[in-house]
Amino acid sequence: MTANDWLYMALLVTATALTRSTLVLLGNSLNLPPRVDAALRYAPACALSAILLPQLLTTAQGQLIGWQGSAPFWAAIATTVTMWMGRSMLLAIGCGMAAYWLFRAVGVPV
Amino acid sequence: MRLTTAEKAAFKAGFVDMMGPAPGVLAWGLVTGLAMVKMGLGTIPAAVISITSYAGSAQLATLPLVLGGAAWWVIWLTALVINLRFTVYAATLGQLFAEARPWHRVVLGYFNGDVTFLRLLAHMERKPDETHRFAFYWGAVAGNWLAWQIGSLLGIFAATQIPADWALEVAGTLALVAVLAPALRSRPAVLGAAVAGLVSYVARNLPLHLGVMAGLLAGIATAMAAAPRAGREAGA
Repeated sequence: MTANDWLYMALLVTATALTRSTLVLLGNSLNLPPRVDAALRYAPACALSAILLPQLLTTAQGQLIGWQGSAPFWAAIATTVTMWMGRSMLLAIGCGMAAYWLFRAVGVPV
Repeated sequence: MRLTTAEKAAFKAGFVDMMGPAPGVLAWGLVTGLAMVKMGLGTIPAAVISITSYAGSAQLATLPLVLGGAAWWVIWLTALVINLRFTVYAATLGQLFAEARPWHRVVLGYFNGDVTFLRLLAHMERKPDETHRFAFYWGAVAGNWLAWQIGSLLGIFAATQIPADWALEVAGTLALVAVLAPALRSRPAVLGAAVAGLVSYVARNLPLHLGVMAGLLAGIATAMAAAPRAGREAGA
């Protein structure tokens, strides 16, 4: 473990503990205004999208993907569609990986 | 602390209840463990982080930021926001466990998970008069923790045996996609996520991965603006 690994661990542990424990602790004394409740509700989807979209819209070289997309891009589409069909997360990841290997095999950039 | 026979039975019932989703949890832990090492984290740090933070999607979401040299507070805020769904669960859990001691609830926070939360709600619907729901929940979180950590550690230590050509780090990204997809059910969520992603893309070359924060803030503002204002319409 390097100093950076320890720092990373501390960041994850404190962020997780704060969100999971503190509010369970406050319990029923917690009454969020509707606007704050809305922000809390939509924040995780926004965070995931902010992390994922730049990865999925660029190639490994950092260029914007072309008309043929990229293997991870099509893999993400396959996973999303499988989830929307109400299937399990594992099947969705499996379909995404299959799509990734397929598109990579036919020469779509990774 | 001594447990009564009834409490032991409730703990066991919770543990057994988790055995249904346990294979899925184990496999999802396996994917996370594999992906962490394949993305470039060392075996030992990955194992320590898996056990101490026990936060699958936050681990996967922050790893590219860590390896890309993001500012520590960007990493921290990202992990915090990914875990914000637990604050939405907290209102319910707080009421269910109102009688529990504060330190007990803090410890429970670490073990709190998406699957166990849903199992507890389903159990309370089947058995609304369950008096030993705390023991039941402990049984469920114990089962969930074991399944997750066994899968995760297997993945972490097996990762070096798997050819790089399989590109299993992609499965880590897809796992996050699988968490995001079902959340995109309402107009505010879709608009917020779209704006968050596009702003983050446009700002991707900002130093320290600040583009992620810019996208996040723009997305939340969009989702809030698009959210229905039920309270106001009802005259509140």
